[in-house]
Amino acid sequence: MDRVLIVDDDVELCRLLAERLSTEGFSLEAAHDGPRGLSRALSQEHALVILDLMLPGMNGLDLLRNLRSQSSMPVLMLTARGEDVDRILGLELGADDYLPKPFNPRELIARARAILRRSERVSDTSDVLIVDDVRLDPAAREVLIDGIPLDITSVEFSLLEALLRNAGHVVTREHLTQTVLGHKLGTFDRVIDVHVSNLRKKLSRVHAGERIKAIRGSGYQFVARSEAK
Amino acid sequence: MTTRIHSLFLKIFLWFWATVIVTAISLVAAFAILSGNGVSQSHAILTETARQSGAMAIEEVELHGAPAASAYLGRLEDRIHLQACLFDISGNVIAGSNCAAFSETISRLTATHTSEVSWRHGSTRIAVRLPGRNGAAYVYATSVPTGPPISRVAIVRQWCIALLVSGFICYLLTRYLTAPILRLREASQHLAAGELSTRASAEMERRHDELGSLVRDFNTMADRIEELISRQRQLISDVSHELRSPLARLNVALDIGRQRKGDDPAFDQMEQDIESMNEMIGRLLSIARLDASTTPVAMTEVNLSELVSRIVRSAQFELQPRGNTVRLTMSGQCFVQANAELLHGAIENVMRNAIRYTEGDNPIEVNLRSREFAPSRFIRLAIRDHGSGVPESELLNIFQPFYRVAEDRDRHTGGTGLGLAIAERVVRIHGGTIHARNAAPHGLEVEILLPQLSRMGESALLP
Repeated sequence: MDRVLIVDDDVELCRLLAERLSTEGFSLEAAHDGPRGLSRALSQEHALVILDLMLPGMNGLDLLRNLRSQSSMPVLMLTARGEDVDRILGLELGADDYLPKPFNPRELIARARAILRRSERVSDTSDVLIVDDVRLDPAAREVLIDGIPLDITSVEFSLLEALLRNAGHVVTREHLTQTVLGHKLGTFDRVIDVHVSNLRKKLSRVHAGERIKAIRGSGYQFVARSEAK
Repeated sequence: MTTRIHSLFLKIFLWFWATVIVTAISLVAAFAILSGNGVSQSHAILTETARQSGAMAIEEVELHGAPAASAYLGRLEDRIHLQACLFDISGNVIAGSNCAAFSETISRLTATHTSEVSWRHGSTRIAVRLPGRNGAAYVYATSVPTGPPISRVAIVRQWCIALLVSGFICYLLTRYLTAPILRLREASQHLAAGELSTRASAEMERRHDELGSLVRDFNTMADRIEELISRQRQLISDVSHELRSPLARLNVALDIGRQRKGDDPAFDQMEQDIESMNEMIGRLLSIARLDASTTPVAMTEVNLSELVSRIVRSAQFELQPRGNTVRLTMSGQCFVQANAELLHGAIENVMRNAIRYTEGDNPIEVNLRSREFAPSRFIRLAIRDHGSGVPESELLNIFQPFYRVAEDRDRHTGGTGLGLAIAERVVRIHGGTIHARNAAPHGLEVEILLPQLSRMGESALLP
């Protein structure tokens, strides 16, 4: 049973969800305010946090920022439809994916499964991917740049893996969304772009250069060091 | 707009300056007119003095002869710097030195005109005709210095300095008056653009004149607006939260119900209604948000041709089961400065409306092309259905929220009555216009005009 933490002030919704998710093999624990949610999320007892951004006490984004400074555990945000700014900020702060509220429980289960599958997957193709100075080890879920480990979230790891497997070729946004996030690319869906931008920032912080090129109208490409700007 | 405020600056400046110049000119003129009396008085005095000293000179000539008269005139010159000459009636010199200088003055004396005064180079020359004892007539001429010499160049220079100084003072005064207006205007522009925390500077608030109170009033107004808008924002987000929470619970409860009781058409109906309520709340909120329009919408360069094609494709897909389609005609690639997501939603709403109302098997017509409307270029997008259209009197109302043509209510056409209202607001914040008109023989045509981007670039829809 996967232990999942939900941080949402709607007590009744949490109760209903716990009932619904229990039939799908999840054990749901609920926290109804920010500070408690944060301390529970840091307890390392859960495989996934479902975080409502509209929280009393502590703003969901603040909670996320605090959580990310100490842990890279997967986070699925619940956002109000239309609050694009919150959604983008949340993704930039390191949330894995989001779902607008109100949501269909089946959609929530599918997203949660996709995230958990990704973070728990022990790659069967355990061959190490090496492109120039970047070394990605799927078995150990570890990335080394010039021998130095890179601190990235599981979604960024999967993204980098997908790009490295096709290094030198363009990978479409549709393909990236499907393999990394486990769902179809929607219209004006920018989740994958925010993750790419986060990954770029982390790569440039270790001076790996501008390795992920955006190809207008089609997708992204991982380029060799010699081709990077 | 800047030219207008500049013209205010220019206006005030020119009026001040003109006032100063006119005042100066009238002062000079008044002085000249008033001193005109003084001049004629001094003429009389000078002429009388000349007559006196002339009589003395004539007496000297008649009693002691010309050399004595010359000596007398010489003494006058030594003592009081009066140069004088005595002539006979035909202009020959009798006594005095350097008398040639007077020739012009005495030539102007005539039988009737017995005295002549003229100014030249800082001195006054007076010539008078005087009778002698035994009936002989003489002409006496004298020259009095009247002050330092004044040259033309000096006059021009004086006027220039006066103009420059007055101009500079007027400039300072104008700036003192218009600078606060300019800054207040800048602040109100920022406020109008949605920067609600903008205030006019405290330094201007401290002024004790009417401009100072204007600035204080402006700041009070800005405080009030900011408070009202932040309250409205809070209300919008509260409504969003409070209405959606029960919907979120309903969704989960419904799913649990399905699990327990198996699939039932009643559950499908509930799910559909929950979804449409959710959609309606979303649309109402987006109208409220667009109307408040306090946060500037992020705009990028958008390939409208691509966006419209995408909407048309999905509409074609939707119409397929009804045996109908959409016909798209467009020329070239059209680019606009837009928020792609909002604009997509707006055009999709218009398209949905057309799909809902079109009848028969004539395809919905979509036409996209750029059009020249001096001075700028526009993009015209027209979407035309083959439904029954809208009564002429109602054409403007269809962009109002929840508006539906009366008979439409009976037709179970679905929809929330908010789509066109949203489209209208989105088009408006993109600087465009939207109109509806009835097409011949029947059907409704919705026309959207958007300002075209002058630069033809690559698509910015995708990274």
